[in-house]
This record gives sequence, structure tokens and C-alpha cells, in this order.
Amino acid sequence: MHHDDILEHIRNTLVELFQLDPALVTPAARLYEDLEIDSIDAVDLMDEIQRHTGSKVQPEDFHAVRTVADLIAVMQRLLPARND
Amino acid sequence: MAADPLAAASAHSREPRQDAYYWRFCATALSFAAFGLGAALVGLVLLPIVRLLPAMHERKRARARAVVRGALRLFLMLMHRSGGLSYQLSGRERLGRPGQLIVANHPSLIDVVFLLAYAPAAGCVVKHGLWRNPLTAAALRLAEYIPNEPTPAMIEAASAALRAGQTLIMFPEGTRTRCGRGPVFHRGAASVALRAATVLTPVYISVEPTTLTKAEPWYRIPARRPRFTLVVGADWDLSAYRHLPPPLASRALNAALEQEFEAYLGMPRLR
Repeated sequence: MHHDDILEHIRNTLVELFQLDPALVTPAARLYEDLEIDSIDAVDLMDEIQRHTGSKVQPEDFHAVRTVADLIAVMQRLLPARND
Repeated sequence: MAADPLAAASAHSREPRQDAYYWRFCATALSFAAFGLGAALVGLVLLPIVRLLPAMHERKRARARAVVRGALRLFLMLMHRSGGLSYQLSGRERLGRPGQLIVANHPSLIDVVFLLAYAPAAGCVVKHGLWRNPLTAAALRLAEYIPNEPTPAMIEAASAALRAGQTLIMFPEGTRTRCGRGPVFHRGAASVALRAATVLTPVYISVEPTTLTKAEPWYRIPARRPRFTLVVGADWDLSAYRHLPPPLASRALNAALEQEFEAYLGMPRLR
């Protein structure tokens, strides 16, 4: 999956889960400050990513996630694992 | 009282001391001393025995919880019989079902004592600072209570406990209620309920006059004997939230719970 496809997927997911304005979901957007996604939401988001990538997401994977770009990096790391 | 906490507080202190005030002071002091001694006995003698007796891990957890429950029952009996407080609990037969999440408001230091004493074999999300308290750490660990950090790990641990069929107690306020306002809930409990609970049961706790609040040390006992009233409410219907995306569902459930607790507790607070 390419970077842009992943961004598109994340945008759709965030819009659906949190009813955000799609225009707000840019790689530089900070989850907590800009999108008001808190640590409880992060668990729901982890579940969603888990469903999509098919690989188990650990809370540690999410520890350093601050922005949408970080989220894309996590997805890129997890996606190849599905094809192993 | 809800309207003006300062006026309420001064009215509180002007009230003449009654219901055997000085005896109640001694009874309260003795009960808390007994609590400390009991915790030491439980932590240093009973729980090490539980740990050493060969048994399956779940069995050890159940025994540890039974020990804690028995000790807390004794403490409540002591507080009650000595006249330090009176209490009434209605609907306790509906506590302790498999996968049941019990949520309660948190007006006083000892709310958790009532719930752990009367909900059979329940787990509990407990203030994480108590894991560093030598008096309580052993019990918390062996009974597998869950520290209340607002992290994904807490949500996962609480959900896993419910999915495994345990009963779990949570205080969505996270800390004791600030005087003179309705409870403000964190969303963690609502999120856990929607993820994993088979049934969500509210417990409404009111204390009249207030005692052992966040703002009062244990020795500032109220002018009258405090009465704790715990009412196990009707099971919460979660079906209305199932069709929403999880983040919106937990927000909606949390807001509804807050409102329900405020409506329920608002009446006694106005008296």
C-alpha cells in the first residue's frame, strides 16, 4: 500500500470514527491537539488498525504516535506483516 | 448545598455536635487503626499463605479476593457496630454477575470498601498510587486489581477481565467528587462497558452528612453520624449505543451516565 493510499484510508477511518472534517486530516495534524483524539480514542483507533492490517497492534506501537504521519508509519510497519 | 459549597461548609461546622460525637471520634480512630493492623495482617500473613498454597492462578486470585472481602466486611462491621457510621445497601443481590461492570460515583474515601465487601469476587480499577503503598501493594497484586492509569493498557486489562467473566468495579470520576458539584466522569468506564461488559450496573452512593471527602482528613468527623446509602440501579441498556462508531458511542454513553447520576443524586443533595 502506498503512502497516499494509507493516508486516504486513515482519513476515511478518522472521519467515520470521529466525524471529523476530512480537510483537517493532513500528515502534519496532531491527533490530540488538532483532532481531539485522546488516549481512550486511541484504543478504538488501534482496534480499527488491527482489523485493517490483520496484525496485532501493541499499546507500545502507539506510544510515540503524535501525528497523522506517525500513524501512517505505524500502518506501513504493520501492513507487510500480513503477507508473511 | 450544591448551590453554594462555602455556605454549606460553614453551616456544617456550626451544627451542634451530636450522635455521641466524641465517642464517634474514638470509634473512627480505632476503626482506622484496626484497618491498618488488618491490612498488615492480611498483607504479611494471610496473602503469603494464599501465594504459597499450591493452586491454579485463578484459584489464588479468588482466594486473595475472598481474604480482602472478608477483611473489608470486618472493617465495615466495626465502623457500623461502634457507631462510627451507618449504612444501607439495597439491591446487592444483583452485584457479582459474570462480565458485569459496576460503575459508581465516588463521594468518600471508603466507597470502594462497600463495593468490594459486597460484590462477590469482583475485580476493581484502583488508584495506581496504592501499588506503591506497602500496606496495600501485596493485596492489589495478588487479587489482580487494575491500576487506574488513563492508558490503552488499562482499557485492555479491564476489558480482558470482563471477557474472562469477572465482575469489575470502576469509579468513572477517577477521584473523589469535588464538594458541591455533580460527578464528572472520565470516558474510560463507558469505553470498557461497550467493549466488553455483558451488563452495566450503576451504583448510586450518597453520604449524609458528607464525610471522608477529598477535602477532609479522616479525623474531621461530621457533627452528626454519617449515613451511607448505596442503591444498586437498574441494568443499563447498551443496545442504543451499539450502532454508533465506538468513539461516539462511548462519548454518548458517558454523557448519559453522568446525567443519570446527577439526576439521581441531585435530590438528596438539595435536602
